[in-house]
Amino acid sequence: MTAVQKRIIVNKLALAFSTLSAVIALSFLFWILGVLVMKGVDALSWNIFIYEGSPPGYEDSGLKHALIGQLILVGLATIIGVPLGIMAGTYLSEYGKNSKLAHTIRDISDIMMSAPSIVIGAFVYAVIVMPMGHFSAWAGAIALAIMMIPIILRTTDDMLQLVPGTLREAAFALGAPKYKVIIDVVYRGAKAGILTGVLLGIARVAGETAPLLFTSFNDNFFTTDLNAAMPSLTVTMFNYAISPYDDWQQLGWAAAFILSMFILGLNILGRLILLAGKRK
Amino acid sequence: MASIIDIKEECALQVRNFDFTYKGAAAPSLKKVTMPIAKNAVTALIGPSGCGKTTLLRAFNRMHDLYPGNQYEGEIEFEGRNILDPKEDLIHLRTKIGMIFQKPTAFPMSIYDNVAYGMRLQGIKNKSELDGRVEKALQDAAIWKEVQDRLKHDANGLSGGQQQRLCIARAIAVEPEVLLFDEPTSALDPISTQGIEKLVIELKERVSIIIVTHNMQQAARVSDYTGFMYLGDLVELGHTEELFVTPKEKLTQEYITGKFG
Repeated sequence: MTAVQKRIIVNKLALAFSTLSAVIALSFLFWILGVLVMKGVDALSWNIFIYEGSPPGYEDSGLKHALIGQLILVGLATIIGVPLGIMAGTYLSEYGKNSKLAHTIRDISDIMMSAPSIVIGAFVYAVIVMPMGHFSAWAGAIALAIMMIPIILRTTDDMLQLVPGTLREAAFALGAPKYKVIIDVVYRGAKAGILTGVLLGIARVAGETAPLLFTSFNDNFFTTDLNAAMPSLTVTMFNYAISPYDDWQQLGWAAAFILSMFILGLNILGRLILLAGKRK
Repeated sequence: MASIIDIKEECALQVRNFDFTYKGAAAPSLKKVTMPIAKNAVTALIGPSGCGKTTLLRAFNRMHDLYPGNQYEGEIEFEGRNILDPKEDLIHLRTKIGMIFQKPTAFPMSIYDNVAYGMRLQGIKNKSELDGRVEKALQDAAIWKEVQDRLKHDANGLSGGQQQRLCIARAIAVEPEVLLFDEPTSALDPISTQGIEKLVIELKERVSIIIVTHNMQQAARVSDYTGFMYLGDLVELGHTEELFVTPKEKLTQEYITGKFG
């Protein structure tokens, strides 16, 4: 066998193995989605959106409480996390740049991104739930916001840095003060990227269970009281899934399906926005 | 050794003993540059890469101040004051001394909003006044006919040459005294280049122009005065025709005849 023939064989083998690995890795994703769709669609019904939780065995039980609770928790986390994340990212890109402080913040933010989410839940339990004396939607939302901030901070920082420096200079050259340059020119230029970061950040925290376990806790009843325990899809799913009751398990599948579709939708939307922004 | 002509007419700017050192650089990028800039004329700055021509250009609107740590000394006189004074109001200065960059810098907004941007910064809100001045600026920049039907469209949909003329419209809309052009055609095709050059010549009726160019033919075509720079020195400043035909300095002659650079 000549050296060239050998190389061709090695090349084909490497190609075959890497393709196979990619197929195996992806097949798990489709397996998960497939099972979810089969079990989830079966468990779906209008009742889920109409009724709140009830003890096992009741006909009229649904997930309204958890759906609304989830939306409140994620919405509140977004209201807290997005402005903080964007402003911090703006500081890094436009003011801190390559300063020591900016680098330190970037490093800490990267560490926070990989922090175990249950640790963040425990932290919020210690600083908010304990002093308040009870679980609350606020605590859950803050825990989610803490997880969201580093993601949004980093994408904002990256996306703002992609805006060409000459565009900033051009605005300065027209006599624009710095804050106007950032708002009018830099933000506009990075709009699609920042929005994508926000959506991915929301998608990232929307599926979290651990930070909610001992912050917003859970409940089987519909509530909009931000100072009380609040049901969420994730914790409800966990509780229902480990219960021995068939109807609760069914609701658990429905919750899993709805949550996954929501997150999948956010991810796809985020990518579409980024693509549309690039195409321009 | 430098040969700097005396400009008899009124000057828009006077550079005196200007030194400039970039942050962290061991040697200065500009050394004791003294240079008059004639009013309502085009002054071209030529010289090989790294000679300091863009550095000098960016000193006129204090662009260097955007990046802390640069050091400069000397004097640039404009409207009777030294604009290098730390107390100089840079926002005001930059409305008086506009700049056009190498690559077109259309903002990510509509054509109309691009041109109106500088005026809005100055607090002009009146719709009819804005409309009128946007139209006039676009006409003066010879782009009105091409964009009049799509003023609300995204400026990034325009071609490179159109974007550059849009940037010129944006700069003249605030009625500056001086316009700085930093190699404005190096990213453009020959026809767009011709358009910009024609515009530069027309604009000197109203503003004083300094243009940095890598292209000696361009300097010869558009400018009244040309300054040749080399390694941070202004070697020669003269009437464009004289400088290209009968340069006074040996270095200038070597550069324009293509011996180096």
